[in-house]
Parts: sequence; structure tokens; C-alpha cells
Amino acid sequence: VSFEISNMEMKLGETLKLKGQIQDNRFAINLGRGPDELSLHFNPRFNESVIVCNSKEAGCWGQEHRDDHMCFSQGADVKFTVTFQSEEFKVTLPDGYQLTFPNRLDHSHLSYLSVRGLHISAFKLK
Amino acid sequence: MACGLVASNLNLKPGECLRVRGEVAPEAKSFVLNLGKDSNNLCLHFNPRFSAHGDTNTIVCNSKDGGAWGTEHREPAFPFQPGSVVEVCISFDKTDLTITLPDGHQFKFPNRLNLEAINYLAADGDFKIKCMAFE
Repeated sequence: VSFEISNMEMKLGETLKLKGQIQDNRFAINLGRGPDELSLHFNPRFNESVIVCNSKEAGCWGQEHRDDHMCFSQGADVKFTVTFQSEEFKVTLPDGYQLTFPNRLDHSHLSYLSVRGLHISAFKLK
Repeated sequence: MACGLVASNLNLKPGECLRVRGEVAPEAKSFVLNLGKDSNNLCLHFNPRFSAHGDTNTIVCNSKDGGAWGTEHREPAFPFQPGSVVEVCISFDKTDLTITLPDGHQFKFPNRLNLEAINYLAADGDFKIKCMAFE
């Protein structure tokens, strides 16, 4: 079961901050317009030591981006920020490293957030 | 009223505190925070009314059990203003929910549904959630 928010109003230029504790050997933060319309799927996998990012359009996954900058582990309390820009998403990892992923779906407004494998303690939109 | 943010699978347990911060619209008439299991099973319907349904500057609370509303509770304290940022804290145990208003005033509302976890939060009306924390 994942933490889910719908009817959110995240506009271009806004930043989402999430704090939580990693519960599993992989977790995911999804941002978009619904479960089948994801502008950003952010998915760290500890067993592969990789962060996979992707998009999903009309239920179909796009091409994966893989980044091996892994600076957190299972059980850790972590904070991520996601800035939503017209060209790309900027995800800031707990150590300050910034990862970017293109805004392929070209949305200017995101309404859906889901999180699994990460127990959320705070959510902030700015 | 426009439908606002809906959060599910919060898994808020007794003793934990939910802090919600958001913006009250400049021309606000009324806003709602609903908490419970789902939209038909609410342990707390928290509805500050600036000017709505014949009420002026009154907080109306209620519960909803299987889609049926309970008995309304009216709280005279009203530390809310249109066009401002407000923060409300809600905690609960088996018997009561405790609501802390922006000025620190606290009141209780009975936990009529005896819920052991709060999994659902929805905002409605002239209020936009900017921040939530689970402590």
C-alpha cells in the first residue's frame, strides 16, 4: 500500500520536499497526473545500487535513466526535494547531489503523488 | 466547494500528531478538513465557517459513519482569517481527537468511529494545503 495524494496543485517552478524513512530495499516516488501518467518515477534500488528514473505515459513506461549516485540506505531518515521546471525535474538527494530528468510529458501542472517503500513524515509544497 | 487535496494510506497511529499548514483564500467562506478511513467514514469533519450555511465565524465538527452524518459539534473559538496562512494540529486516541488551533486553543471531539488508524485526509473549500507533517 502506498502513500498517495491526488488533487494536488503543483505548478511549474514549485518545489516538493519529502521527508521519510526508507522501509525497503527499493522505494519509489511518483509524480504526475495519475498512476498511469507519471512525469517522474524516481526509484532507488539498493540491490542494484542504482537510481532508476523513468516516465509513464498512458500506462507505458518510457526509456529508463540510470544514475549510480547512491548516498542512502535502507532504514535511513532521508529528505528529497523535487523542483518542477518546464524542461526538467531536479531531484536533490540527501547529500546535496542533484539529479535531473527531462519533463517528457510536458505538463505544466501535476496533481498526483505516490510513494512506496518510504514512510513519509513530512510533505511540503513551495 | 472545489475538491482539494486528498491523501490516502497515511497510517497515522494513536498518539501521533498530524500537522497541516495551508493558505486560507482571501475571500474565504468556509473550508473543510476531513480525516478518517475513507470519504464515507470520517472520524473528524472539521469545518471552519467564515460565512456559510447561516454560520458566522464558527467551527462545525462532525463525524460520518458508513456515509451517515453524526451529531454536529460547534466550537465557538475562531482564530482564522481569510487570506492568511494557518496551521492546525490533530492528534487522536481511542476516545478522542484533540484539535489544536492556530492560536494554541485546544478542544476535543469524540472518536465516535473508534478508528485505530487515520488513513485518509481530504481538504475542501477555500483552503490550500502547503505542508503536512506526521509526528
